[in-house]
This record gives sequence, structure tokens and C-alpha cells, in this order.
Amino acid sequence: MTFKSHISAVALAAASLAGLAGAAQAWSLEEAAKPYAGTVVDVVFLDRPGYNAIREMLPEFEAATGITINITTMPYENALGEQVRDFVAGGDLDLALIDLVWIGNFAENGWIVPIEEFTSNPDLVDPELDLEDFFPLVLNAFGAWNGVVYGLPIDNYSGLLFYNRCMLEEAGFDRPPETWEELKDVYGPALTGDGRYAFALQSKRNETQSADSFARMLWPFGGSFLNAEFRSNLNSPESQAGLQFRQELMAYMPPGIVAYDHAETVNALAQGDVAMITEWSAFYTTLVSPETSKVADCIEVAPEPMGPAGRKPALGGFSLAVATQADEAERAAGWLFIQWATSKANAETYLRKGGVPARQSVYQIPGIAEEFKFVPALVESWQEGVPEFRPRFAEWPTISEIVQEWGTKMMLGEVSIEDGAREIGTRMEAVLEDAGYYSGEKPLVQ
Amino acid sequence: MTARVRRRTILAFLGPAVTALAAVGILPLGYAVWKSLHDFNLTRIARQKFVGLDNYVAVLGDPVFWAAVGRTAMLFVIAVPIQIALGLMIALVLHRPGLGFWKTLTRLSLVLPMATTYAVVGLLAQVMLNQKYGVVNQMLGWIGIDPINFIGDPTNAFIAVVLWDIWQWTPFVALVLLAGLSTVPPEIEEAARLETKSGWTILRHVQLPFLVPSLVAVLILRTADTLKLFDMPFTMTRGGPGSATEFIAVLIERVGNRQFDIGMAAAQSIIMLAITIVLARLYIRLFYREVR
Repeated sequence: MTFKSHISAVALAAASLAGLAGAAQAWSLEEAAKPYAGTVVDVVFLDRPGYNAIREMLPEFEAATGITINITTMPYENALGEQVRDFVAGGDLDLALIDLVWIGNFAENGWIVPIEEFTSNPDLVDPELDLEDFFPLVLNAFGAWNGVVYGLPIDNYSGLLFYNRCMLEEAGFDRPPETWEELKDVYGPALTGDGRYAFALQSKRNETQSADSFARMLWPFGGSFLNAEFRSNLNSPESQAGLQFRQELMAYMPPGIVAYDHAETVNALAQGDVAMITEWSAFYTTLVSPETSKVADCIEVAPEPMGPAGRKPALGGFSLAVATQADEAERAAGWLFIQWATSKANAETYLRKGGVPARQSVYQIPGIAEEFKFVPALVESWQEGVPEFRPRFAEWPTISEIVQEWGTKMMLGEVSIEDGAREIGTRMEAVLEDAGYYSGEKPLVQ
Repeated sequence: MTARVRRRTILAFLGPAVTALAAVGILPLGYAVWKSLHDFNLTRIARQKFVGLDNYVAVLGDPVFWAAVGRTAMLFVIAVPIQIALGLMIALVLHRPGLGFWKTLTRLSLVLPMATTYAVVGLLAQVMLNQKYGVVNQMLGWIGIDPINFIGDPTNAFIAVVLWDIWQWTPFVALVLLAGLSTVPPEIEEAARLETKSGWTILRHVQLPFLVPSLVAVLILRTADTLKLFDMPFTMTRGGPGSATEFIAVLIERVGNRQFDIGMAAAQSIIMLAITIVLARLYIRLFYREVR
């Protein structure tokens, strides 16, 4: 090789590198979206603060990209059914809104696309995507199935203890309970009386019963739905202890607690009728707003109490993934929207508009923890949660229905804790048997 | 030629109705029957397979299904006789001569409960019967009755659904029976009134025979309505607490739309359809007589 050709090669390499660097520097949402301007992306949203925040931010995205996000808003109860029917029928939805307990269902049926399809395409991937900035537990639980990431966390919750500081102080407490035992044995008797109650545990017969009530009492006591062999673990001493604890705790809850959904529970705290509730972080805004809470100035937030097995707080939330049934342009446009909505750059705006981002970096911004009182408790909770708080496989909706029915019967005393747990276990195993987990047809993944 | 024209005319008149009926009734029914013979779950569509009558065997041996049927029958047995009794009383009052303006006003107000969407009726009940903030408990408090846990107690929740059903459907029964009373020839009724002052005798021997077709219609419609009662209990109690208000339609919706087991839900629906048809035929055979 001559000196001249050497120089040429080096110059070429340098030019290539400069070109690449330039390309990386030059990546912009506007440029990436140019080929997809005019594309309409169909997605299901819920009527909750996080989605309203995205909706408020959306004009900026649509102006920058020319992509239209066509949102259908529906209640949580309908969102799964509508999406399943749409995917089975090959409908219009281009994105999937996935509650963490639906991810196994959506992934196993091939309805959603792994994000690798987009992150491997430099034209579509934002150099600032930084997947490691997501709380690992949240990204894994909400967006991943069997080691493959499909969706990015969009609407993120952790169970938190919301309490009425004024009521606690009146009763002589200067801090919230640290353990469930303390809540029941010390705070319970002191805060219950004269038509007011120490605690309310939302337990209505729907996902609230199975997730917010039943599962919430299993994990901190060392229990779980399934053991390593995927057999029922509900009659283990730990699970039984948790369920028995729930029964005893009812002495300090309002009567008719099996009819309490999120609205009734949050309202009970907001009206000053109960002193403490364990609820999703998303209800923070409702509880601290004087328009919706009589005791807004008294509301404080702490992590959920610990049980003998640790904190293990309730974990819930949604990711957005691209649907397999979308065409090429819709997939790319949909991905750009997901990436933008969950980006580090937008996390603070999203938080200020009422959403709860899953980006670690936003919670490190000075002043955020002081401004949003739920932040320290939320960050702590996301270090200690369990992804399989509710099993995330396709069979969960069926099992959840079983838990809802028998969990409510247990609370009403229509069946003993032991018999109820056995009944759920038998039915749950029948569902898993039918699905093929015991024959080895399906891997033991939850 | 004339016969051909007539056949064409007949086809032209009947065709649209038959096509519409086939499109919205017969084809979906056929599809439901076909799916009921399959293991067809939307969440494992790849494993769909023909299973013959397995779904029917499973449904007929399922205690949860029969418990829901029993609950539905209980609702019917309690609510419908009360609706008929109250409806008949209202109809008889409205049938009497005089009080023109007030009768018109009553007739209009009777339409309101029926015109209210079922789901809204359930949502209203959920709010009104709330133990802490509901208006019903507030009113009970005015007369010294402690708040009642309507929605959170299994027995109370069932009673609440019964009462709400009675509130919504008694006016319908009243209007149908009022229409039935208007078919009684006035001269017969007047002659009967000259013969006796006993209202019961007139009702039993003069009016009731003319009311039989209306009563059979009420029974058939209310049976079908009760068997498919879904919106109100779903929005009010969602079948709970426990299974206290899980009526058959609520159960079928749960299996089909929440467990996505379309095959099983279709089998349950076909069985319920069969029960409805048998009951309707039974009513007609036992009660219906042409009034001559």
C-alpha cells in the first residue's frame, strides 16, 4: 500500500466515522419520523392521570412528526377484552397497552413485537433511549416476558401507604406503622372508633380483590400463589398466615369492605373516615388536592408496611408495545411514539402533568422528592417489589376470577381460610394443568 | 302468471325480513352452536380443537353454573309475582274512570324506569345504596334506622337487586296489563258491575280471562329478561359479594369475556336458550287460552 493510498484509507475511515458520529449527533425525532408522516397509530388508553398527561403532551409529538396517535379511551375492566378481541380478529390496534399481568398472554400469542426490532435499527432508536435508566424491576415486570423486552413502562404504580397524619397525631403516633403487625395490633385499636376506622383495604370482587387485597397479604408474610413446581402454595403456613392476618385486620376496617373498590377506599381516606390505606401511587394527586380531599393537608405517604418476609409491596402498571398486526410504517411510527412518551427528556414533564415515570434519572432531579411527597416511598418500593406479585402468564385472568370469588367468600366468612385457599388451589391447578404447564408443554414462567 | 307474480310479491315482502333475521339472529346462533362444540379460548387460539359435546357435559356438571341458575330462578320467583301483583294494582287503578290528568301523568311517569338504561340503573343503585354516603341510608337515618350494608352483605345485595328489578319492571307490567284491561268489552264490565259490587268477583270472572294473554306475554318477556339480566347487577355488584348476585348472564359474561373461554360460554348460552324456549312453550301450553 502506498502512502497515498494509506492516506486515502485513513481519510475514508475518518470520514465514515465522522459520518456515523454526525448521524448519531444528528438523530432527531423529526428526521426519524419523516418517512412515516401521515401515519395513524391506533392505541387504547385508560382514563387515568398518566394517560391524561400523555394526551396533554401529545400535540408536541404530532407537530414534530406528522404522526397521528388515535386514542380510544376505555375503563380498565374493558381494556383487556377489547385488545384481545382486536388482536384475535386482526383489527386496527397498532400498539398494545399491557398491564403487567397481561404480558405473558400477549407475548405467548405473538401479538407484540420485541423492542429489539427497533433498537437494532439506528434510524429509529434514539441515542438517548438508555434502557438502563428504567427501574430494572419495572422494566422487567411491566415490559419483559421470558427474558425478552417487548414494551416500555408507561403508567407505573407501586403500592404505598397513604395516611392521615393528623388522625395519627391525635391518637399519639408521630410516625406511620412500619410493619403490618404493628398496624393491626397497635394502630388498629387506637384509631378505630366513633365511626372511624384505622384502615381500609379495597377488596371488591374484581381485580381489586385478587391484586390489591389477596396478593397484598400473601407476599409480605412469605406466601405466594405458586411454588417452584407451579403447584398451589396457598395452603403453606406463610400464605395461610397472610390470609389469616387479612381476616383479623378486618376488625379495624369499615363494614362492607368487600364492596370497596379504589374509589370508595380513596374517598374514605379523603373524607377523614379512615386513617390509613394502601393504594397505588397514581392516587396521590387525588388525595392531596383540596378539591377532592377534605384532609389534603394531612395526607402523608410512606412505603407499605413490612411483613415477616419483608416489604414486598403491591406492584402494578402498564407498558406500551408495538402490535404484530401493525404494518411496517405503523410499527415504526408506533415505536417512535412509545420511545418519545417514555423518554428521559419527557419524564419530568410527564411527572408534572400527573404521570408517574419509571425513569430513575427524573427522581434524582433536585427538588423533585420534596415537591412530590410520594417519590421517596415509590423509589424504595421499586427496589423491593416482586415481578410475579401476580403471575403474569396467560392464565392469570382465569385464575384471578377464581381468586376474586373465593377470596371474597373468605372475607365474608362463607368459607374458612384453609378451605378457601384449598378451593382456589385446586381450581388454579386445573387451569394450569389444562394450559400444559405440568405436561411440560409450557415452561414454568410467571 | 298470476301465481308467479304473487310468489315474487311474497318473496319481495318477506325477503328483507328473513334476510335481516338470518343475519342478526340465525347466523350468530349457528356460529355460537358451532363454537360451543370447540375448545376455543381467545388466549390460546392455536390450541383450538373440536371437542364435540364436552363443553355441554362440563357445563351440566358444573355446580357454579347450577348455582347461578338457581340464583336466577330465585330472583324470578321473588320479583315477578311482586311485579305482577303491584302492576295489576296500578293497572286497575288507572283503568277506573275519572282523574284524567293524574292518570295521564301516572302513565307518563311509569315509562321513566323502563326508559332508564339498565347499566345506569345499576350505577345509580351503587351510589344510592352506599352505606356511608348513599341517599337511601341517609333517609333511613331520618327515621332512626342504622345504615344498612346493602352492597357489601351477600343477602342484602341480593335483596337490593330484587328491589331494583321490581322498581324498574313493575311499570312495564302495569302498562301491559292496562292494555289488557282495555280489551274487556265495556258492556260486559258494566253489566258485571250492575250484578255485583265485589271488585274481586269482577276481576276474577270478567277481567282476568281477558288479561290472560297479557299475563302470558308478561311471563314470557320477564322470564327472558330475568335470564339475560346482566347490566344492572354487573354495574351494581359485579356478581358479588362472593357469588351472591352472580346470575346466569353475569356468569356467562365472566366466562366468555374475562376468562375468554368462548366455547364454554357458548355452551352455557345455548343451554340457557333451550331452557328459555321450554319455559316459553310451557307458559303458552299451561296458561294461554283464546278468549272467546
